[in-house]
Amino acid sequence: MIEARGLTKRYGAKTAVDDISFTVEPGQVTGFLGPNGAGKSTTMRMIVGLDRPTEGEVTVNGKHYAEHKAPLREVGALLEAKAVHTGRSATNHLRALAATHGIGRKRVDEVIEMTGLAAVARKRAGGFSLGMGQRLGIASAMLGDPRTLILDEPVNGLDPDGVRWVRTMVRYLADEGRTVFLSSHLMSEMAITADRLIVIGRGRIVATGDVQDVIDSATKSTVRVRTPQATELAARLQSEGVTVTSVEPSLLDVDGLTAPQVGEAALTGGIVLHELTPQSASLEDAFMSLTAADVEYHSGAVPEHQVDETTVPEGANR
Amino acid sequence: MTAVATESRSARRSDPLTGAHVNFARVLRSEWIKLISLRSTAWTLAMTVVVMTGFAMLSIWSVTQFVNNPEMMGGAEGAEAAGIGTDSVSLATAIASGYVMAQIVVAVLGVLVISGEYSTGQIRSTVAAVPTRFPVLAAKGVLVAAVSFIVGAVGIAASVLATAPMLSSIDLTLDLSDGETIRVLLGAPLYLAAIALLALGFGALLRHAAGGIATVLGLLIVLPALSFIPLDWMADIAPYFPGAAGERIVGIDNPGQALTPWQGYGVLGIYVVVVLAAAAVLLRRRDA
Repeated sequence: MIEARGLTKRYGAKTAVDDISFTVEPGQVTGFLGPNGAGKSTTMRMIVGLDRPTEGEVTVNGKHYAEHKAPLREVGALLEAKAVHTGRSATNHLRALAATHGIGRKRVDEVIEMTGLAAVARKRAGGFSLGMGQRLGIASAMLGDPRTLILDEPVNGLDPDGVRWVRTMVRYLADEGRTVFLSSHLMSEMAITADRLIVIGRGRIVATGDVQDVIDSATKSTVRVRTPQATELAARLQSEGVTVTSVEPSLLDVDGLTAPQVGEAALTGGIVLHELTPQSASLEDAFMSLTAADVEYHSGAVPEHQVDETTVPEGANR
Repeated sequence: MTAVATESRSARRSDPLTGAHVNFARVLRSEWIKLISLRSTAWTLAMTVVVMTGFAMLSIWSVTQFVNNPEMMGGAEGAEAAGIGTDSVSLATAIASGYVMAQIVVAVLGVLVISGEYSTGQIRSTVAAVPTRFPVLAAKGVLVAAVSFIVGAVGIAASVLATAPMLSSIDLTLDLSDGETIRVLLGAPLYLAAIALLALGFGALLRHAAGGIATVLGLLIVLPALSFIPLDWMADIAPYFPGAAGERIVGIDNPGQALTPWQGYGVLGIYVVVVLAAAAVLLRRRDA
């Protein structure tokens, strides 16, 4: 259980996290979603005491992180892929971490095995790929078999196999009753992995709730209708309180009705339809609409179709 | 997935995690693992011994040259100008003279032990495991001081052994029953331990290898050069510079000096305490 109250972090004049309060419950995977620079990492760093909040506080299992006698037993944190001395082997890195808590070599070997690092465990961590570094970070987080896991962008740099492994592991850990809090800037990833969502933009929480609710509230499904009698159909639908927008002459976007309902309405009115297409916004569109006002770094205009093809990963079509 | 499941279950059955919590002895052990698991440590320490022994042999070689051809070295006056003496304490200072080079190596070690954690991101793992942070700095301090002292002592022992045949060839010996001789010989490892701590303090304050090393070496090597500026007050403060004061412990106890050997070492100790205290406060207060 993680509880943040009025958590604020300012770096000089810049406010990275702006008075946020939230609770992350055990037994669930809670996703922390937001664009780059929204304050996800800063928030996570404050949870494990790396950064000191400017105002407010955050507790883990009822105490400030630093007050726990065995912090690694309470919280396992993956905060960035390489919080590891580049000159040390994975095994020695884990041994040194384990030693602070008197955790034995046996557990070190277990997490190495568990994260698939056995083959490279004796190599210097400086030569690790991003994916291997990520696995080592997860191994470090799992060392104390913690009740709470905080994972910042855990699938970053992992191959498809690794991505799947993280998803399954995270699900399993939550099902065991642990608190799992993971961040991502990909809504599609969250849709697959998380039960609940906390959406953050520019340091403020913009939405919280069950994943599906957040997605539904942000996703606008419309029906595209092509008809020579556009004006007639629009008038008919609008009289029933449906929102209709005209994209071009003879082309309408209907918001709030399903395609069958539009078809039936057309039939009743004797209106000829040339096209009837349900259109649902992608998860990324939903994410954009949630955080539209809150993105810190806007990219230049990119043609719409290109965005769709390149940024919706395979996972979006679950 | 099944791997995770079985691992977790077996973990609980045999409980390798019972009694897992942080204490200072464990942090010390963790820092020890970190120190010895870096290749650079072994290299650094081996180099210290080699450099100290080499310098001792070079210095004693000058003594043999002087004893064999006094007129070539400008007689007694020339020998005094070159700091060459044949009494036991003078021989001890010659044997211990490698500390001047060894302090550079030890200073680099002291800085890197902490700055290396910042440059690689390791500090975040370290601080997440020991969020009270202070034990980490304390453990690093205990280790770099102990390791520097031991390596300095090994270096001195090797120097004494390596130079013994050279000394006996000119019928000179170190008087190891003489308190001042022992003070000079032990002074070198003591001085190195203090320098390692000073370097650790600056490394923790500046969190940057280049900055830390430059600062420490600047204090130890560049600052003494200032004492040659012909100003009255410069001559007054120069003996209190950290290097000059600390070096008294490896020097001859002349009555004309501003500080006795142990006073000098005490002054260096004050610098060390102040720098480490500042580092400890900032370590607690700054974001990792």
